[in-house]
Amino acid sequence: MASQEGTPESRLGFSLSSNDISFELDESVYPLEAIYGASYLFLDRCYVYLTRPKDQIVGVRLTAQEAAGAKELDALAGSFANELLSQTLRLKLAQSTARIREYYTAAALRAATSSPSVDDLLAELESEELLEDPLEIMVPWEEKHGRDQGGESSNG
Amino acid sequence: MEQRSISVTRPEIAADGLGFFRWGQVAGKVLVTNDAGEWAFLEDGELADLIGGRVGSDHARFEEFQSKGLVRDGLDLDALATRVSKRSGHVRFGPRLHVVNLTRRGGNPLDMSAETADRIVDFALKGTSPAISFEFQGADGDPFANLAVLQHLVQQAQSISQHTAGKTLRFRALSNLRSMTEEIAEWMIANDVLLSTTLDGPAALHDDNRAHLGGATHADVVRWIEYFQRRYAELGRDPHQWNVDARLAVTARTLASPREVADEYVARKIGVIHVRPLEAWAFDAETWRKIGYTQPQYLEFRRTLLDYILELNRGGSDLIDSLAAVIAAKILTARDPGTVDLQSPSGAGSSQLAYGADGRIFPCDEARVIDDSGDSLFEIGNVADVDVGRLTRHPTVRSIASASLLDAQPMCTDSWSKPYVGINPVRTYLTQGDLFGQGHRCIELAEQLAIATRIFESLAAADTADRQVFERWAATESPHVIGERLGKAVP
Repeated sequence: MASQEGTPESRLGFSLSSNDISFELDESVYPLEAIYGASYLFLDRCYVYLTRPKDQIVGVRLTAQEAAGAKELDALAGSFANELLSQTLRLKLAQSTARIREYYTAAALRAATSSPSVDDLLAELESEELLEDPLEIMVPWEEKHGRDQGGESSNG
Repeated sequence: MEQRSISVTRPEIAADGLGFFRWGQVAGKVLVTNDAGEWAFLEDGELADLIGGRVGSDHARFEEFQSKGLVRDGLDLDALATRVSKRSGHVRFGPRLHVVNLTRRGGNPLDMSAETADRIVDFALKGTSPAISFEFQGADGDPFANLAVLQHLVQQAQSISQHTAGKTLRFRALSNLRSMTEEIAEWMIANDVLLSTTLDGPAALHDDNRAHLGGATHADVVRWIEYFQRRYAELGRDPHQWNVDARLAVTARTLASPREVADEYVARKIGVIHVRPLEAWAFDAETWRKIGYTQPQYLEFRRTLLDYILELNRGGSDLIDSLAAVIAAKILTARDPGTVDLQSPSGAGSSQLAYGADGRIFPCDEARVIDDSGDSLFEIGNVADVDVGRLTRHPTVRSIASASLLDAQPMCTDSWSKPYVGINPVRTYLTQGDLFGQGHRCIELAEQLAIATRIFESLAAADTADRQVFERWAATESPHVIGERLGKAVP
């Protein structure tokens, strides 16, 4: 079923016992990195145990650090499910923007650490001529240079 | 065992149309930040629209999102790189903060020699940073126990800089004032050596703390603060630049008195307050039971103190909370105030170096303190035989850089707060026995996050009075804030 276009809705099952909750998470839905990321953020709230009950399935057991009732454990399960979704989104965004981040981080560090020689500048110019928009997201020259570039970026 | 289930709605993500950003909830709104520290609050549904690729050129906030690099349509990578570069400028300059420990006490006591001081000056002034700060410390909080070498070092640095290096120099002595005299005070004033000391609040609180921590009495501390301020005024110096700097050591007793502490700082006309938590490792178990506290207790105190300092500022006070000023500058301006502990990677070993009395070099003062306890793990060289390139490429410095790069810290890499906070791995080694540590056990990180959250709460509420205070703090040029380190309270 779907709550609205593009936002598929489903049920995530979990087991509740006296002081802990357990999930069996399918890696095709929640990538392992997202499960690790969500689990890490719960380290200060509960003890986290990860297992591999079968291929592509990760078992997560969260044990409350202090005695907790069903209501608290239910809330813990909801928070963990939300964090799993959030971590999955963050992971997809990080993966899809990895090359962009590499580009501007490298450019920023290059600008910060070096005073280029004439040879460096010529080499850079040459490489720019050879590479045709390697990330396929370059701004057209006219658009970039037609814009007012006088001010610094302002936050907020 | 009972089986239950939760309804889960997986939002669509149009990842190929997005730039990189982080997000989280602050003050009931979604806060989005990018790698350049730029930010935006999103209204209900806007995050889902943004992530789902439903923010096109006809969207009301498209141009804002585009300029902040949140969407890929029209993303100006070079401009973004320039803005990120301004945030990471510290990697360009090399060591600029040199913490010089002039004495060593204990089983193998030593006073730094003039020859070692000369080598430190030569080494520091040969660095690439256009501005160099020397911070003087001594065992038991008393750098003046080796006054002749302190004075020699300052004069050498001034002389060399004037004739050859042409660098901007700054000197600061961290002292508990136990051996301060008028002669020393006049020499400091004449030679532009700033004073940092510790003031723990009103007399009863300060003197009670000092019974556990050592240091001068409240009466002596106040007498010298007033002396320096009177002399600065007589010489017509700008009180925002020339002021005694005080640090607050927070003990369990301090937790109940945030207002009294701030009132004392205002009464003594101190311009900047540095607030530091005590660290359990520095005390025996019995003392810690008396004066220690938990992380939540400290954070509650810190929040109350900041709120009260803001209230005082709204009433016309000039008192600046140094950590809040640094974080406000990161949030409200495009510059980085150069606080070595709030940089990613940490400035330990790249922006800051510390020297033992014997001339051995450490990436930061905490590393030298570890060495004092018999663990030379962080020693990276000696001024008798040193090369700056070798130092900054030293495996220890590289390890510190790796461990403090927030993109590799699980709790920070995804957090909206990443552009505004920092980790000192040497301190996490001290407190957790691990360079990387766990973010949620790091009290400094929790404090930075709490203050960044407080600033954004004001911005979310469009609280113009608080915003004006934060903007004024962000613009401060106080030498007690710019290029500083979080540092420790003077013993």
